[in-house]
Amino acid sequence: MSNFFSLLYNELFKIYIRKSTWVMYIILGLIAVGGAIIISSFDDVQPTEYTDNWKEELQEENEALHKDNEEFGYSFNDDRIMKNEYLLENDIRPLNYGAWQYTLENVGLVAIVSLLTIIIGSSIISNEYKWGTIKLLLIRPISRNIILLSKFIAIFVFGLFTMIYLFLVSMLGGAVFFGFEGFNPSTVIMTANGIEYVPIVGEVMSEYGYRIVNLIMMTTLAFMISTIFKNSSIAIGVGIFLLMGGNIITGIFSQYEWSKYLLFANLDLKMYETGNILIEGMTLGFSITMLIVYFVVFVALAWLFFNKRDIVNQ
Amino acid sequence: MSNVALELTNVRKKIKNKEIIKDVNLTIRQGEVYGFIGPNGAGKTTTIRMIVGLMDLTDGEIKVLGKSIEKEYKDAARNLGAIVENPEMYPFMTGRQNLSHFARMYDDVPKGRVEEVITLVGLDQAIDEKVSKYSLGMRQRLGIAQAILHKPAVLILDEPTNGLDPAGIREIRDYIRRLAVEDNVAVMISSHLLSEIELMCDRIGIIKHGELITEQSVKEDSEEADQSEIKVVLDVKETEEAIKVLASLELKAEKEGSQLVSLMTRETIPQVVNKLVESGVTIYGVTGVKPSLEDQFLELTGGNIIE
Repeated sequence: MSNFFSLLYNELFKIYIRKSTWVMYIILGLIAVGGAIIISSFDDVQPTEYTDNWKEELQEENEALHKDNEEFGYSFNDDRIMKNEYLLENDIRPLNYGAWQYTLENVGLVAIVSLLTIIIGSSIISNEYKWGTIKLLLIRPISRNIILLSKFIAIFVFGLFTMIYLFLVSMLGGAVFFGFEGFNPSTVIMTANGIEYVPIVGEVMSEYGYRIVNLIMMTTLAFMISTIFKNSSIAIGVGIFLLMGGNIITGIFSQYEWSKYLLFANLDLKMYETGNILIEGMTLGFSITMLIVYFVVFVALAWLFFNKRDIVNQ
Repeated sequence: MSNVALELTNVRKKIKNKEIIKDVNLTIRQGEVYGFIGPNGAGKTTTIRMIVGLMDLTDGEIKVLGKSIEKEYKDAARNLGAIVENPEMYPFMTGRQNLSHFARMYDDVPKGRVEEVITLVGLDQAIDEKVSKYSLGMRQRLGIAQAILHKPAVLILDEPTNGLDPAGIREIRDYIRRLAVEDNVAVMISSHLLSEIELMCDRIGIIKHGELITEQSVKEDSEEADQSEIKVVLDVKETEEAIKVLASLELKAEKEGSQLVSLMTRETIPQVVNKLVESGVTIYGVTGVKPSLEDQFLELTGGNIIE
């Protein structure tokens, strides 16, 4: 088993020794902090600082929001108004904007983490073919299954590290530009059961957690494609297309009953929490089963092709 | 006799119904250096890929120290070291990082071994530079280094002299001979150029169209050499007289310019010289001409044609 960790170490070493990986990290870091720089440098998007007079401030804010709604003839501020009313009713002092809330808002950037993980997953096998090193890798006294497994796990260790990096950079950026709300602050959020007052840490965990499902499935798909075709471009292309366009595809077919069997229809497990279930009759158990079936099929195909192949030149 | 290190029995390989390797039988003993010669496209690399487990066998068996590469892969692979085709390494890593990477793939390569191997192949100067900056010769050395990290019993080197200058070839030749003699390693070297590896091999096998067409020793036993006939060129003044002398010893001779050419065994040469001297023939020179392996190779393979 110690041998397996050596293999995992090797794979991670090959990922992190390359400059291109660090370029990806720098770009992700800039995007993660960039939001904070933009928000803090434009006055009209600055978050409100609540003082001891917060009750009056909230009421004023709500009046202004109502006015906005009437002006535009569309009630896009309703959530915010309801949250403010909830705070006033329950006598909860609103939390000033800070690192935790900024990190929560940055959850959309998990898509970029997925993107980077797909790139790594698509190239971890095909690069060995490209460099010609696949021959040196597969003549060792280690079965191909174990080599494949070490690479597969290395991809997700990379994904996890990158996720942690995004979290840390967001927290740091948020703390520098907006301040730190404390180690376990709570805030009001909208859920399927209406407004609730919850700790932000849990909310951050669950928001990031739900998106990991998409990351794992798309990366596994890309890994399978690149293992079969020995080509990273096809895998990256398909992976990114489906990552971005999965919702559109589901949207097109959602009128049909069978569309619930599509991978994309089952990627967003959060719908069972919020109650916006995509197709009637879908349950959390159904989605998890579908995800496992897809995952097993992807891994089995990759394994089959990697194991059975004669290694020849490209 | 020493033990069999590598054994190929009735090995066949079909790719898309085309028979690439047809019934190859081959045995290499410990401490022996075997030259695997054939024109490009003859099936050398395919055979090597099957030996190291990169390709499945269609039929037959390959054993490394008695362990089947197909049925007991791990045991067989543990005793194999190889360069297959070009010695390609991770270009973005240094030589040392590359070696450490491969060393970690074995349970039993001690820490100091990497340093030891670096010195052995003479890469101390460049080992901390990125492989992308290496010359082909340096990559060949690094390729050999990764192949011997785990002290394998069988070493497979596919075209190790490719792209090397004569000095580099000599260095590798000395090194391979040392491995065979001192560490008792069985070495298989493939090449399409016989002349480059002839000097480092004990035995060579020639492959053509996927068939092993001949095998022979390079350094023949002295006894055997004494028995076989070689071409002898006699540079003498009185050619007519000499022909008569040779005829008396039941040897045929032909006149080639001012010289005589005859076929005789090594043993008879001193006898012939004595007789000629006794008969008063003036001798300027006696030269034994061994048929070069190169000539035989070209004759057998019909030149270096890619098919």
